[in-house]
Amino acid sequence: MTSIQPGRAWHPVASSGDAVVRHVFQGRLLGRELAVWRADDGYVNVWENRCLHRGVRLSIAVNDGRELKCQYHGWRYSNRTAECTYIPAHPADAPARTICNRTFAVVERHGLVWTTLELDRPEDLPVLPDDGRPLALRPITVAAPAAQVVDALRSYDAGEDLRLAAEAELLLRFDRGTAPGLTILVQPSDATTSVVRGVLHGVAVVDRDRPPLDLLRLHNRALNRVRARVESDLGPLQAEQQEPELELLSEELAELPPLSRPGRSASLRVRVERKWPAGADVAGFALAPLAGHLPAAQPGAHVDVHLPNGCVRQYSVVNAPGEGDRYVLGVKREPDSQGGSSCLHDVVREGDVLAVSEPRNNFPLRRDAEHTLLVAGGIGATPLLAMAQTLAHHGLDHELHYFAQTEDHLAFRDRLATLGGSVRRHLGLDVAATKARLGEILAGYAPGRQVYLCGPGPMIEAAREVAAQCGWPVEKVHFEYFKNAQEIDKESSFEVALARSCLTVKVLAGQTILEAVREAGVAMPSSCEQGACGTCLARVIEGEPIHQDVYLNDAEKASGEAIMTCVSRSASPRLVLDL
Amino acid sequence: MPTFLCTDPVVLNLWHPLAAIAETAPGRDHTTTLLEEQIAYALPPDGGARAWRQGAPQHPLPTLVRYGYLWTSLGTPPEDLFSIPEYDEPDRRNMNASTIGVHVSAPRAIENFLDMAHFPFVHTDVLGSEPHTEVVEYGVDVSAERDEVRATRCRMFQPKASASSADGAEVEYVYRVPHPYCSVLYKTSGDDPDRQDVIAVFLQPVDQEHVRAHLLLSVLDAAHEDKEIRNFQQSIFGQDKPILENQFPKRLPLDPRSETPIRADKSAVAYRRWLSGKGITYGVIPAGR
Amino acid sequence: MITLYDYELSADCYQARLALAVLGLEYSRVDVEFYPGREHETEWFTELSPLQQLPVLCEEETTLYDAPAILVYLASRHDPTASWYPGGDPALAGQVTLWLGFSRALAGSAGAARLHESLGHLTDIDAARSRAHTLLRVLDEHLWFGEQEGRDWLCATDRPTIADLAAFPDVALSEEGGVSRIDYPAVRRWTDRVKRIDGFVAMSGIFPAGPVAA
Ligand code: FES
Ligand SMILES: [Fe+2]
Repeated sequence: MTSIQPGRAWHPVASSGDAVVRHVFQGRLLGRELAVWRADDGYVNVWENRCLHRGVRLSIAVNDGRELKCQYHGWRYSNRTAECTYIPAHPADAPARTICNRTFAVVERHGLVWTTLELDRPEDLPVLPDDGRPLALRPITVAAPAAQVVDALRSYDAGEDLRLAAEAELLLRFDRGTAPGLTILVQPSDATTSVVRGVLHGVAVVDRDRPPLDLLRLHNRALNRVRARVESDLGPLQAEQQEPELELLSEELAELPPLSRPGRSASLRVRVERKWPAGADVAGFALAPLAGHLPAAQPGAHVDVHLPNGCVRQYSVVNAPGEGDRYVLGVKREPDSQGGSSCLHDVVREGDVLAVSEPRNNFPLRRDAEHTLLVAGGIGATPLLAMAQTLAHHGLDHELHYFAQTEDHLAFRDRLATLGGSVRRHLGLDVAATKARLGEILAGYAPGRQVYLCGPGPMIEAAREVAAQCGWPVEKVHFEYFKNAQEIDKESSFEVALARSCLTVKVLAGQTILEAVREAGVAMPSSCEQGACGTCLARVIEGEPIHQDVYLNDAEKASGEAIMTCVSRSASPRLVLDL
Repeated sequence: MPTFLCTDPVVLNLWHPLAAIAETAPGRDHTTTLLEEQIAYALPPDGGARAWRQGAPQHPLPTLVRYGYLWTSLGTPPEDLFSIPEYDEPDRRNMNASTIGVHVSAPRAIENFLDMAHFPFVHTDVLGSEPHTEVVEYGVDVSAERDEVRATRCRMFQPKASASSADGAEVEYVYRVPHPYCSVLYKTSGDDPDRQDVIAVFLQPVDQEHVRAHLLLSVLDAAHEDKEIRNFQQSIFGQDKPILENQFPKRLPLDPRSETPIRADKSAVAYRRWLSGKGITYGVIPAGR
Repeated sequence: MITLYDYELSADCYQARLALAVLGLEYSRVDVEFYPGREHETEWFTELSPLQQLPVLCEEETTLYDAPAILVYLASRHDPTASWYPGGDPALAGQVTLWLGFSRALAGSAGAARLHESLGHLTDIDAARSRAHTLLRVLDEHLWFGEQEGRDWLCATDRPTIADLAAFPDVALSEEGGVSRIDYPAVRRWTDRVKRIDGFVAMSGIFPAGPVAA
């Protein structure tokens, strides 16, 4: 294979008009295939044309407006970040955030989509004359190397009085009189294929929706002539496409980031883009990245927010699928706040910079149910809203039952409105009425149904009880508590053996397993550190745990196979963990 | 010792299928491509089978007629082919569903054959349907004695599992990979719940990135015509074809870090390891390259 | 009652199935096993289709064995809006006929390449692919200018016609014959539009398109 001269870093790979919504454009640059797609929010993604799972081209994937769905096994990849958000073969698992397709930098300018294969932000885009209304010509693919195409284009003659005025690498500028008339860029697709992309300048636009067709046709004819000449000089059209080089792929796939992540780190800096009243006593926050992209949040995920006063609090991300340019959180003012919610309500303002963790999903949403019930109490609606938006977007059958004091107490009513008929409001019910209503909602269990609960502790407790009475198996009842209201006993002391690290550590009275393990130098993620969120889960190989958490369900607790290292302790003198 | 374009000794010494007997007119010469070599073959009217490299009829290649196909080898093949005992049961209907050319390597096609997670997406409303997408835990073992990969207790909800099934059911599969380029699957028969239909894929490596896929059916089905049964399998295979042809790289990468497996891919992981262990280089991208 | 003599993997048969589906017509299928059974060469089938061509469509006294003929017939007879085959408009009728002819050229090139690759049919494969690329270039240019003019379909009307149905199968299956569509972006967008026509059905080898934007 002849080698390709990489040349300048930025290349046009499509016209803006090529990347229409709900479509995946198949592009090629320097021998590498690209999947180019525009999300409904207008953002254009340029990705490696290859699913990370089994290498299937993403140019045959479905663009659902927010995500690409691979045709082979239905893995979903998020707008902007290309993170895998769902693996249908394992509906109960949240995919590791590190499963992330290769993305390339994108700029949309002069009517073209530009990208670069270089990883570090390279030099600037080539400067094109800018009259505010560039007109992209029909791209012409030529079966010839870029250098040869550039040679042939120097004498380009469209019959207008255009004359070659300037030349840069893979770029020719023609002027009409003294005014810029046309820039032609040659995209090196691979060693034997190029695409000629022309941009006309200074075209008088009569009708915004009607491009000047005569002009487009004139240049199309002229470029076709150039193509015919170059190709006939070179011999017959090469029928077979060249395969991109394999070495490139294996190399970068070997660069997959490691799976383990340290916990409770605030690795992201975000700016409060917007703060607004999102319901009675609820402040909505939209957090935008200071630079680059935010990791995608799966439905049910939360982030740790590190507050200016030193507190760390967990908040569920309300985002809909593919809503990747910010995190939306809802914060309820807690009367007995120890500084978390009151700080966010009273101190944090628009424009402030906060540190947050990457989103973590310990409350993952299965998408293989025939019907999904979401039962929310008060501010517990936040993770369930993300779930409802996902289910609605996928066209999966669901209902969101929202218990609140009054209509005003419903948070994010704009989002509720988009969910339409699947939202049921239950307002102003007292404890007994709530329980009765839960009985109605949860009646009629059938296989193929799943329920997700989030809200105040007593309500979740009641709902779990009702669900059990209605015949729901525990594994179909998913719940998330905001906090662990139990009194945590820390008095015992015992030994913990870490099987994989070949270490034994002593857990003293007043100390948590998590603390002891970290002290021994073993990295361990955590988030709420009160046994509610599930981040610090560890598998138990041997021993008899005392759980004290509100994350595991009763069956999981009875099996004794897992613990929350932030609150659980041991009844046996020794606990062996798979760490 | 003749020289070949394929230099992988393991692959040269394997038996490879050339054609279905039922589709080979006896008494005249036919040609096909195997491992980039032009191979001629014939079924003499007096029985038996012959194969030779085009232009070298004086050097016959070893042949075998098994499971309704003519097999040959460019090297020194084992005495016999892997066994499919069910094939010889008297009440089975054995047939070649199709021999179809696909632009992919043989190992990629084997992996696709072993894969259940794609049923709801690729064989929508036939072998699977959303939202029933879960692949529950199944067993995989590599038997040293039989030298084959086996996946057991593979269960999946299927809306229409075969030509003879009308409604959906959870079906159970067993997969065998007894040959680097051949796989056999067993699934509960629609006609007799105590017995299993057998579907096998035998891949003829045309070159490293092209195969001819021979699809053997050995089924218990009293109700359908042969052509209906074949038709069903052909349309299933026709759905896999564009997936296989859009996989990149076309050769199977054996480096464990080159693609992202999940638990559902256990059998594929075992298959890749088994190929690595055999030192196969043809149709794969060996690890460490 | 309409009867279609049909082979699932045939692009020409798919044209007929597609037309029947978008017109919302009920029909019964008779499987004719093109491969491996070679049923199209049997005596009974040759009587229906003297050139041994699939598909064949029968309705009452009418028997037709050529895909474009079947499309013209179905649309003329069963589409009261006359949008699928605007035979009453001379210019449009001419355009439809032009693209029906074009679809035969696709069958003889891209379609032949596919049969060569899948079933080993004898063809000059390089010539077939090169011809298919020539046709796809023409198609891409036509469709790109169509987009600029606000026209989504092959003919100058705001509704799809049988011309789109006739050209679609061999284009959408071209990659099975080793004819990539990477260089024909307007063709790729058009195939997505065809997949979103009301009543569209897929076939083995063709994936349905995702949902349209709200
Ligand atoms: S190859 Fe894309 S989901 Fe499996
Ligand atoms: Fe399949």
